[in-house]
Amino acid sequence: MSLTEVSQTQQSRDLRLPFGLVLLALALCAPLLASTYVVHALIIALIFMLPAHGLNLLVGYTGLLSLAQAAFFGIGAYASGLLAVTYGTPFYINVIASGLVAGALALPLGIPALRLRSTSFVMCTLGFVIIGQAIAKNWISLTRGDMGLSGIPKPHFALGPLSFTVSGTMAFYYLALAIGILATLAVWMIVRSPAGRNMIAIRENETLAESVGIPTWRYKLIVFMLSAAFAGVGGSLYAHYLTVVSPLTFQMYYSTTMLIIVLGGGAGTISGVVFGSLLFVGLTEALRVTPELRMIAYGLCLLVLVFWFKQGFAPVINRLWNFIGGAK
Amino acid sequence: MTGLRILEISNLTKSYGAVKAVNDVSIHIDRGEIAGLIGPNGSGKSTFFDCSTGLGRPDSGTVKLDGQDITGWSLNRIAREGRMLRSFQKTVVFKSLDIEENLIIAGQMFTFPSLFSTFGLGRLSRDRVSALRDRARELIKMAGLWDVRHQRAGNLSGGQQKLIQFASMLMPEPKLILLDEPMAGINPKIIERVVDTILYANKSLGVSFLIIEHNIDVVTSICQRVIVLDQGQKLVEGLPQDIINDQRVREAYLGG
Repeated sequence: MSLTEVSQTQQSRDLRLPFGLVLLALALCAPLLASTYVVHALIIALIFMLPAHGLNLLVGYTGLLSLAQAAFFGIGAYASGLLAVTYGTPFYINVIASGLVAGALALPLGIPALRLRSTSFVMCTLGFVIIGQAIAKNWISLTRGDMGLSGIPKPHFALGPLSFTVSGTMAFYYLALAIGILATLAVWMIVRSPAGRNMIAIRENETLAESVGIPTWRYKLIVFMLSAAFAGVGGSLYAHYLTVVSPLTFQMYYSTTMLIIVLGGGAGTISGVVFGSLLFVGLTEALRVTPELRMIAYGLCLLVLVFWFKQGFAPVINRLWNFIGGAK
Repeated sequence: MTGLRILEISNLTKSYGAVKAVNDVSIHIDRGEIAGLIGPNGSGKSTFFDCSTGLGRPDSGTVKLDGQDITGWSLNRIAREGRMLRSFQKTVVFKSLDIEENLIIAGQMFTFPSLFSTFGLGRLSRDRVSALRDRARELIKMAGLWDVRHQRAGNLSGGQQKLIQFASMLMPEPKLILLDEPMAGINPKIIERVVDTILYANKSLGVSFLIIEHNIDVVTSICQRVIVLDQGQKLVEGLPQDIINDQRVREAYLGG
């Protein structure tokens, strides 16, 4: 009796804080431990985590399936590229401006789109990506068409006499990590606020949410704008990382990748999205070893996901977290 | 003017194509009253409810709540600004959330002054939510659901879910509650608890009620006045005992 009690108390030691610190330390040390190529993959994963976080607010918390994220990602990338190339504005202004531009453009797009019912809404958001690409290709005087924008400078920070350019892969990794952590915190704050509870109510049952006084239409519009802002920031980071932007930034493939991150990681959970972006972006990079079979293998992985992890990896992460927390 | 009438609906009409689902119906609810709305299936009760609460838009007619014209307001605005709440026959609770969360959600928009204030995480916001939590717990106790308060609402029985819905509707101190078949599909024991809750809300909290109900025993025992709809029109209204003995009402129900 006493023996089992002892083993139970040993088992129930809460290791979540040390575990979290180890994860943070790993994240901080990654560029020192891994090859440049892996660090590059991690940067792409961190960049894609931003639109995925935004999409999670929409799909996971408010219950609106959208394929528009690539459109706002592209808008963010072009906004940053144009600002940097035309006006020479620094990175930290571009990244904020891109979020604001994408968020603001989501308003006129969201007003008609959100009037549509579920399937029509999805088709409409898909349209935004295609229209975005068409504009980027054909408004040549602004976007230089298929040539795209090149020579976007790497992020440069200047404070008085001190200045620093984020040029290397390792330095960019830390920049992306910092922005990724800030974005994750922002999502956490939105979700934990009373508004987050209202969003979940809308996801659960829109009519019932209306009946308890929640202005569902306005919430959906605000969340749509917030999700676009996250995508815009991601696009900005992407432009400054690759230093070129082309109409291919508006790509259906990106929208589906972001959706896979959210659904595969676990819609409606923050840890799921963080994990999902590492896993699925990592997976596409890892599969480059077999270029011919890459898409087939990727498709097979998705099938496995659909059949064995219907709610994404969220339940697995949850169980692991409880185990580390010492719960029985 | 705060008159005797809490709700006054005049000449409400709603058509679906050539069918007049509700045809020129006028009713009123007095302050503090429990009124019943009965009628055979397809008599237009639900459409009438929807058009009065903002879920549907009437073709013509006016809805006045506490002297204010609320015709054409949305469901959420009527709930929030008018404090007139309604229940639904089928959708009753937020199924994947626990009972406490269900009740907190039901009270939030009445505590937070604006949509933007709900994004706050500061002291004020936390205090508001904890006040809501306290009130939620009180109501959960009253509804006799204390032991299951952290269960997912969807896991509970139909009757318990209806009790949660009632508790939710009492969160914001409503003026008027419209119930759409509150007794349908629940066992007699819970019917008693629902009846008790309605009477408590009416007597102690001063809430007025309009109730659509098929259970004639319940209607006659709690309603002070009964309105009968038939084929989209008001057939008759009066005291419960007069209504059950009314020849026209019997014919309407028997399809005579």
